[in-house]
Amino acid sequence: MKEKRSFQLTTPTWCKGCGLFGVFDALKSAAASLDLEPEDLVIVTGIGCHGRLNNYFRAYGFHGLHGRTMPVAAGIKLVNPLLQVVAVSGDGDAYSIGLGHFLHALRKNIGLTYVVVDNRIYALTQGQASPTTDFGAVTLFTPFGSKDFPIDGPALALAAGGTFIARGFSGEVAHLAALIERGMRHDGFALIDILSPCVTYNKMNSYDWYRKHVFHVEDSPDYNPRDKARAWDALSSPKKIAIGLIYEEDKPSFEELVLPDVKKPIASLDLKVDHPRLKRIIERFR
Amino acid sequence: MMIKDLSVMIAGKAGDGVLFTGNVLAKILKRQGWEVATYRDFPSNIRGEGTCYTVRASLDKIYGLADRVDILLAFDCEAILAHLPEIAENGIVFCDGEGVAALPPEKTRGKTFHRFLLRSLAREQFGQEIFKNMIALGALSYVLDLDRALLERIISEMFLKKKGKDMVRTNIRAASFGYEKAREMTAETERHPLARKGDDDRILISGDEAIGFGALVAGCRYFAAYPICPATEVWQALVHDMPEFNGVIVQTEDELAALNMAIGAAFAGARAMTSTSGPGASLMMEAFSLAGMMEIPVVIAHVQRMGPATGMPTKSQQGDVLQWIFGSHGEFPRIVLTPGTVGECFDLTVKAFNLAEKYQCPVILLTELDLGQNYRTSRAFDLSAVQIDRGKLLRPEELLDVADFKRYELSADGISPRSLPSYKNGVHVAESLEHDERGYRDEDPANRLRMMGKRMHKLDRASADLTPPRLWGCQKADVGFIAFGSTLGAVLEAMDQLREKKVPSRFLQLRALWPFPAAAVREFLAESRDVFVVEHNYEGQLASLIKSQISPCGELKKIVSSSTRAFTPRDIVEPVLEAAR
Repeated sequence: MKEKRSFQLTTPTWCKGCGLFGVFDALKSAAASLDLEPEDLVIVTGIGCHGRLNNYFRAYGFHGLHGRTMPVAAGIKLVNPLLQVVAVSGDGDAYSIGLGHFLHALRKNIGLTYVVVDNRIYALTQGQASPTTDFGAVTLFTPFGSKDFPIDGPALALAAGGTFIARGFSGEVAHLAALIERGMRHDGFALIDILSPCVTYNKMNSYDWYRKHVFHVEDSPDYNPRDKARAWDALSSPKKIAIGLIYEEDKPSFEELVLPDVKKPIASLDLKVDHPRLKRIIERFR
Repeated sequence: MMIKDLSVMIAGKAGDGVLFTGNVLAKILKRQGWEVATYRDFPSNIRGEGTCYTVRASLDKIYGLADRVDILLAFDCEAILAHLPEIAENGIVFCDGEGVAALPPEKTRGKTFHRFLLRSLAREQFGQEIFKNMIALGALSYVLDLDRALLERIISEMFLKKKGKDMVRTNIRAASFGYEKAREMTAETERHPLARKGDDDRILISGDEAIGFGALVAGCRYFAAYPICPATEVWQALVHDMPEFNGVIVQTEDELAALNMAIGAAFAGARAMTSTSGPGASLMMEAFSLAGMMEIPVVIAHVQRMGPATGMPTKSQQGDVLQWIFGSHGEFPRIVLTPGTVGECFDLTVKAFNLAEKYQCPVILLTELDLGQNYRTSRAFDLSAVQIDRGKLLRPEELLDVADFKRYELSADGISPRSLPSYKNGVHVAESLEHDERGYRDEDPANRLRMMGKRMHKLDRASADLTPPRLWGCQKADVGFIAFGSTLGAVLEAMDQLREKKVPSRFLQLRALWPFPAAAVREFLAESRDVFVVEHNYEGQLASLIKSQISPCGELKKIVSSSTRAFTPRDIVEPVLEAAR
């Protein structure tokens, strides 16, 4: 197994106590336990505080546009399925501007690990409501309380046919790291939604608040993540938030379905102009 | 009398098989050795509205429509009323309908009309109405004195594999029946016999198909797109063959995803492409800027249609020129190529992939529906001339001893070495924020100036690599035309007609609009007295571009059109003669 610190490039400058530190740590642990080389890992990020990650993490990185992590990561994975491709988004990136891309990458079951760091606020723009902000929450732009009902990423994923749906908490790094690692090993699309406090702009959903409001699905001895009805129950709990591996199933990944040969990445093809089929194609137009 | 140029229009309602009939006729005429150009005019609807398909054949090289139609084969009488003004003085009309008799005599003078009840004949003779198209093709073969064996061979090629021997036999019988019917129906003087020529090493292909094929040849192995008219034919041209080349085609959820996905694929090492039109191009503007900032080589084929908004999705226009040259947020280098023939669609597609990797920037293949969806004859594309240039893309072994890889190194030409994920010692970040030489976010003001300069200067020396404008016509003439894309055919034939009227002219066909070919245009302007800029849009976007790039530039006369119809020579000859008066 690799050492965690081989993935650390620099020291992050997120606000002291930000949940992203826990996510950063968990990502490094997961990469180390998979024994990855930094060149075999690509981290695709969106726009938000999480997007600074590429400056701190030693791996190939792609810090793209707001909400567009999914198509970029899918393009990379399909061109080189031998790479471990992890996309990281915030709640705005994944569940607002990029919601369409999220559901389509998920339903195609593309072999990506999608880490969504949900702090229930737009922090980089200094505190507007996000799609996961609590109803009634007072934020910079909702002085009279948010009038939007929040959405839940894992529940959406379950409805849309997700094959690996987990939720972690950035206050429980070892638990989170194990979920990310398992997601990276999953053959297909893995969602790891993360409850992650913003210590600067969200005073409501703090570490203490989350500790009081989460429960681990694995604490029920008979919980079976392959039972969809149980997964719905866990995600629909009115008072408490389920964390752990909520749901898992086997389905062929998109790359196995569409690539002629997953062992022969497009990235390393020799582009020859003398392919015999080219001459045959020309014949069709005669 | 043998003729040298002929246009046949097939007209009816969407669902009548107009497209099928036109395509087969085009193929026969091509095999007969003639130069062929087709023109589809169809609604944005699958069934029930008026549609027509013109097939033009000529002994001379042609690139588009003629001013008139010689023979109209109509599946209903409404089609005749719609197209009567286009029919030549001595034109012939076949119509499946009773309404011919009711046509006003002043409008039908000189023309010959035949009631040709295709549907009922098909039902009576062959049990199904669908055979009306083959009867029609048989009849046209008689009128044009085409090789009957050729039609039979084409029928066999089309139906044998998919539908079997019986279907081939029935179709051949239907064609023979049509042939004999036309012989009974028409006078010998109505025949338009075509001289037979050889058909050596030629193809009949649409611009979209030529782009799709060009992409395969160029090594495009990743294609991501969202369906949109009139660009889907590019995709269609690739869909069956891509797996054989170990490549992949992905239908994305929208055009935002399509371009972002192509960019991700290119970052990972594929030659990647997307195709789109109108509203899809607008959605791609965001990621266009991303490719510019990250210096990602990606090719975007934009087949223009009529806007704004949803506009007229099945009509051609050149209204999105400035969008790609000046569009999206921020400033970044981009290359815009504009093919005017199907051969150039192929050549410039291959070139687009090389330029994208050499200059590490997005390249736009800008064409329009008229060239994209219609068929033209061309010499078979020469694959032996194709070269693949991947620019400063490193091989993994070139990185073995590299300790501090700089993806965005400040090199003399502004173009930096590129490594791919999985390459050891090549780890870097593709960063949409302003970044340093290693790709890490950097807001230092001095770094910003260096990086902006690096990116913007990349194309300083690119003009030598771009396809230069092509000069057509006389060496010296007072009248000059400047145009790009599918107006080419109309301009060239307008020049012929003007020459007959003792007005010599020359024509500068632009095949790359950006970086702007300023030197060639400046020289052309200096040597012409009256310059007409011909373009299929309302405002004259090319004329505005020329004025913005060349100063002083003198007067430019605009020949513009927002008509749903493609340009014909008359649209150009008349304003030139008008200006001379």
